[in-house]
Amino acid sequence: MKRIDVIKIMAGIITKDDLVTTSIGQTWDDWWNYKPANNTFFTGILGSVSSTALGLAVSLPHRRIVAIESDGSMLLNTGIMCTLGKERPANLTVVVMDNGIYENIGGPPTHTSANTDLAKMAAGAGCLNCHTATELSDFEARFRAMMEDDQMGYLVAKIDPFVRHQWEWKDRKPTDGIEDKYNFLRYVEQLEGVVIHPGAAQN
Amino acid sequence: MQPTSEMPAYAQLFIEGLKEAGVSVVGAVPESLLAGVYRACARDNSLRYIPVTNEAELPGICAGTYLAGRRAIMVMENSGLRQACEPIARFAYCHAMPIVMAMSFRGEWGERNWWGHNHAQTMEPLLNALRIPFRFISKLDQIKPAIRKAYYHADSSNWPVAMVFTGECVETPAYEKN
Repeated sequence: MKRIDVIKIMAGIITKDDLVTTSIGQTWDDWWNYKPANNTFFTGILGSVSSTALGLAVSLPHRRIVAIESDGSMLLNTGIMCTLGKERPANLTVVVMDNGIYENIGGPPTHTSANTDLAKMAAGAGCLNCHTATELSDFEARFRAMMEDDQMGYLVAKIDPFVRHQWEWKDRKPTDGIEDKYNFLRYVEQLEGVVIHPGAAQN
Repeated sequence: MQPTSEMPAYAQLFIEGLKEAGVSVVGAVPESLLAGVYRACARDNSLRYIPVTNEAELPGICAGTYLAGRRAIMVMENSGLRQACEPIARFAYCHAMPIVMAMSFRGEWGERNWWGHNHAQTMEPLLNALRIPFRFISKLDQIKPAIRKAYYHADSSNWPVAMVFTGECVETPAYEKN
């Protein structure tokens, strides 16, 4: 599977009412161009994408939360699988873009290109509905089901290594981490009707 | 409620402080010095208590909770700061994320565990290196004001803050009871 095709499928299922966290990497530019709204926190920290999504999920149980992970990010913090497996937030779906390489630094292999199976690890950690998809049709069916079943889901998408969509500079994600935070929290403020970051207090 | 062995005064004040500050999520790696806090959080249905496997999971949980418009706290021993350094630094420097930390001060004056001293020796240099404001909380009457102000400070500065609990505000180490 090509990552851009997986992203397009997700964009057709995730709505403006859902909230998303994403891992650093090529996914950023792909998802930037297909996200349905500013409903995405582009998490600039490998290993903290699912934990950030967990915080969102337990705090907004009425809203669907999606973590778009990468194999490198998951492998950096495998303990979160156990925490997800204990908490099992019904509104959380984790999708791991697994290309078996650290693509952004030139492509040295991750352990998933050898013997590591993230879906089996997640299942062993107690996560529910763990599955590895290698075909687009299977990915779409599984992702749609996970988004609609009111149970947590953990879906590994085996995507082709060294295959990236070539975005022009004007179409690449232009924002930095602080702008990303404000874009997202202002979106949540509108969505939830709350004030997260008010102006300055009076003297 | 009167303090008990299960719910010592410091833990009672800690939980009351969290509730008065509007905290709804507590992420933690349990340890001995704040044992009463972990027990109380686990039993309190009004708090979502999330024990984790590694302190590096905690900044993300706190950030996600903040971005949802709620308040979280990460609780751990001061050794956990070392585990969590990378995500704390990234959330602070990349995202200007307010995160409130509470940690016990292992390695206090009179520490009798050889393995505990390095926790104290590295804690302040690390907090200073990360440019994280912190306060020592050693008296019971400091607990609730400190928690309340921690959220004001973190939210208005868009930056992590840390409370370091010691003295009356932690368990008496086992070696001092014997």
